[in-house]
Amino acid sequence: MKWLDKFSELGTRNLARHAARRSFLSRFGAVLVGAAAFPTLPVARADSHRAPAPDETGIEGDPGNPQSCDYWRYCSMDGFLCSCCGGSQSTCPPGTEPSPITWIGTCRNPADGKDYVISYNDCCGKSGCGRCFCNTNEGDSPIFRPTLDNDINWCLGTKSNAYHCSMGAVIGVATEAQS
Amino acid sequence: MPLVGAILLAAMGANAATINTPRVDFMLECQGCHRPEGVGLPSANVPTLKGHVSKFLHTSEGRAFLVRVPGVAQSSLSDERLAAVMNWMVEEFDPAHLPVNFRNYEAKEVNELRKKIMRNPNTIRRRILKASGFNPNDGYQ
Repeated sequence: MKWLDKFSELGTRNLARHAARRSFLSRFGAVLVGAAAFPTLPVARADSHRAPAPDETGIEGDPGNPQSCDYWRYCSMDGFLCSCCGGSQSTCPPGTEPSPITWIGTCRNPADGKDYVISYNDCCGKSGCGRCFCNTNEGDSPIFRPTLDNDINWCLGTKSNAYHCSMGAVIGVATEAQS
Repeated sequence: MPLVGAILLAAMGANAATINTPRVDFMLECQGCHRPEGVGLPSANVPTLKGHVSKFLHTSEGRAFLVRVPGVAQSSLSDERLAAVMNWMVEEFDPAHLPVNFRNYEAKEVNELRKKIMRNPNTIRRRILKASGFNPNDGYQ
């Protein structure tokens, strides 16, 4: 359950104010793929030397705009981006609960060419956010293969199965950079 | 400017040139429901693998059960990669209950077993656990 506890931590606004700035890649290199220690993704401190521009993550090695469907982590996205709904690519908006059951795929990070394992946990408990809908859907399958169908409601195991938005959290590395 | 072309080429799982480790295959095929470390979510009908899954390996019916459950039998993995995931998983999540004479699953065995998808795993699992001397509720409810 440590994973879910970490997720609950991530869901609180306070984490954003207190987490230290770290390089995405150096932090990520230390993560055990599949381990219970959910990688709390680095967030820029408010007093960092350079505030990130509105259209970038502010994390070295994690390029792109998390409010855009083109953000590299969203290659299999189907839903509203939590980044546009009061949360972020790895945190749920206040008042919603991350679903422990989730759709998992891989996306290639253009910064290093590696395929990362992405967990598209939904945030549940409020009606649909309605902002930043994306439908990139790499690897999605119709309902005859339900575990790969991201059209079904993945708000499972939560108090409410009302779907609000989707995250794109990095949980591991699938393959090393292709030469 | 994000490389949209590169993003769209990102593979779901391995392409022909790369084979994932069993750990990564578990993440892609199983972890979405069974969760990191296989903790599962019995309240949502997802059994707990951690600390329980190897209890099924003490009988031939139980050994077959683990491959016949729908999530395993219907996986998109090849027989070889599925066997590798099974062998990795039982050691990773429940080494304490591995039988002393446990032998690895092989692709040929997985190929035969997954053709016999189980329709009612929830009742069968209880019978198998009880027959092996474990609590029939272990790992589920």
